[in-house]
Amino acid sequence: MTSFQREFRFLLALWKANLLAAMEYRGAFLLQVVGMILNNAIYFVFWILFFQRFQQVRGWKLDDMLLLFSVVATGFGLATFFFGNAVSLCEVITEGRLDYYLSLPRPVLMHVLASGSVASGMGDFTYGLLSFVVAGHFGIDAIGRFLLGSFLAIIVFLAVLVIAHSTAFWLGNANVLAAQVTNAMITFALYPITLFDGTAKFLLFTLLPAAFVGAVPAEFVRAFSWRVLGQMLGATLIFLVLALVIFHRGLRHYESGSAIQTQV
Amino acid sequence: MSKYWAVFKTQLLNNFAYAGDLAAGSVMIVLFLWIFAQLWKVTYSAVGTERIAGLSRQDTLWYLMLAEVIVLSKPRLARTIAQQVRDGSVAYLLNKPYHFLLYQCSVGLGDSVLRIVTNTLMGGAVVWLLVGPPPNPQGWPLVFVTVVLAWLLDFCITAMIGLAAFITEEVRAFEWIYQKILFILGGLLIPLDFYPSWLQTIAKATPFAYTLYGPARLFVEPSLLRFGEVVLGQVVWLAILAGLLTFFYQRGVTRLAINGG
Repeated sequence: MTSFQREFRFLLALWKANLLAAMEYRGAFLLQVVGMILNNAIYFVFWILFFQRFQQVRGWKLDDMLLLFSVVATGFGLATFFFGNAVSLCEVITEGRLDYYLSLPRPVLMHVLASGSVASGMGDFTYGLLSFVVAGHFGIDAIGRFLLGSFLAIIVFLAVLVIAHSTAFWLGNANVLAAQVTNAMITFALYPITLFDGTAKFLLFTLLPAAFVGAVPAEFVRAFSWRVLGQMLGATLIFLVLALVIFHRGLRHYESGSAIQTQV
Repeated sequence: MSKYWAVFKTQLLNNFAYAGDLAAGSVMIVLFLWIFAQLWKVTYSAVGTERIAGLSRQDTLWYLMLAEVIVLSKPRLARTIAQQVRDGSVAYLLNKPYHFLLYQCSVGLGDSVLRIVTNTLMGGAVVWLLVGPPPNPQGWPLVFVTVVLAWLLDFCITAMIGLAAFITEEVRAFEWIYQKILFILGGLLIPLDFYPSWLQTIAKATPFAYTLYGPARLFVEPSLLRFGEVVLGQVVWLAILAGLLTFFYQRGVTRLAINGG
């Protein structure tokens, strides 16, 4: 068995354990899933009302917003459902809970991220699928582009979260910074990119790459383009490498009080 | 009342210890208002008129500023109460010589005051920079009264959601749904005046409109008549919601089962 296969099996085992843990509280899990679907659907009413009155925003119409929400919700939902600790990584670092992961012969980052699951992520994912269906792009090629776009969005989203949370290695308490980055990523990803010009647009493609978890994959789902595909692949690679480098550089600064911990 | 005043003051002082965090938290209002400013700049320019449904771009942005201040300054009361019910710590609050709901109200107010101040300063600065000065300051005292009543309306609803933990334990889903209904029917993301007339009629009759739209609309177009209408609606809804909250609280306490402690 190759190293990749071994790690992938381990990842599957973690996901299975997370799912079984969630099923222990089935009622609460389903409530969160259904609640999140309703939450997103009610929020989308804003755009329905907006476009009913104003028809378009610099070329963006309701159909574009459906695709945008489908990609963002799917990406964010799957990222937080399968790699739930990505939203609380800085707490794991500052509370010294990395000790547990460091003592095991597994890739530390993958292990820590996949050891948690956010139940409402399944609700986001389901909403993303529903939004894609309502957008009405039923061709095999569109579905393929949706899967690829969402997959790359997951990686960019996780990479940005890892970078933001890894600042805890140097700053100590990075909760506020990490929370702001997460909120900003989601907020900017859910608006038409055509609203932003100049510096703002540049920032959304670089420092805070919300465009790569929203507008760019949504554009790719709408119509195939080598240019957009190249942009997505390039950005995904860059942010993935950056996240890995920053996290592993941070590990060298990691300190803990060697507290006794129980991993549940 | 002095004990509730003491709880409020203590909570307020606690928050002063985290003034830096509060200021950092205000980054969100800057972000939202900046995005709204871009959205409405493009929209007003596309429509090609100075006013939409009687509101200029400047009015719309100041309206959104106040609505955002109200929403972003709310304490996470539902989650706190639900947590207290789940982990049993509610038992330590119930046997104290104060009313549980009034205690929560004092704590929540103490948590909100500084947030309201920082969010207003940050949000106001951004909007002023982007679209010009705020509306007539003569209306501000009236707006302040409606913001306080709006806070109480929201308290009643979020406390009821928190008390739902007596039955369901998990209340986050209810919190999300309430928040989004408040966004839409309260007019947080878009003034209710821009809605189709049938939806305006429905939305304006709900407590959500009296929580956000009422104070925010009064802020950009202050008048005694509008103030009277808003306060009347708020008081009526407050009476209904406070009655419901008291009823649910009494029912919830009778269901409470604490094991050990």
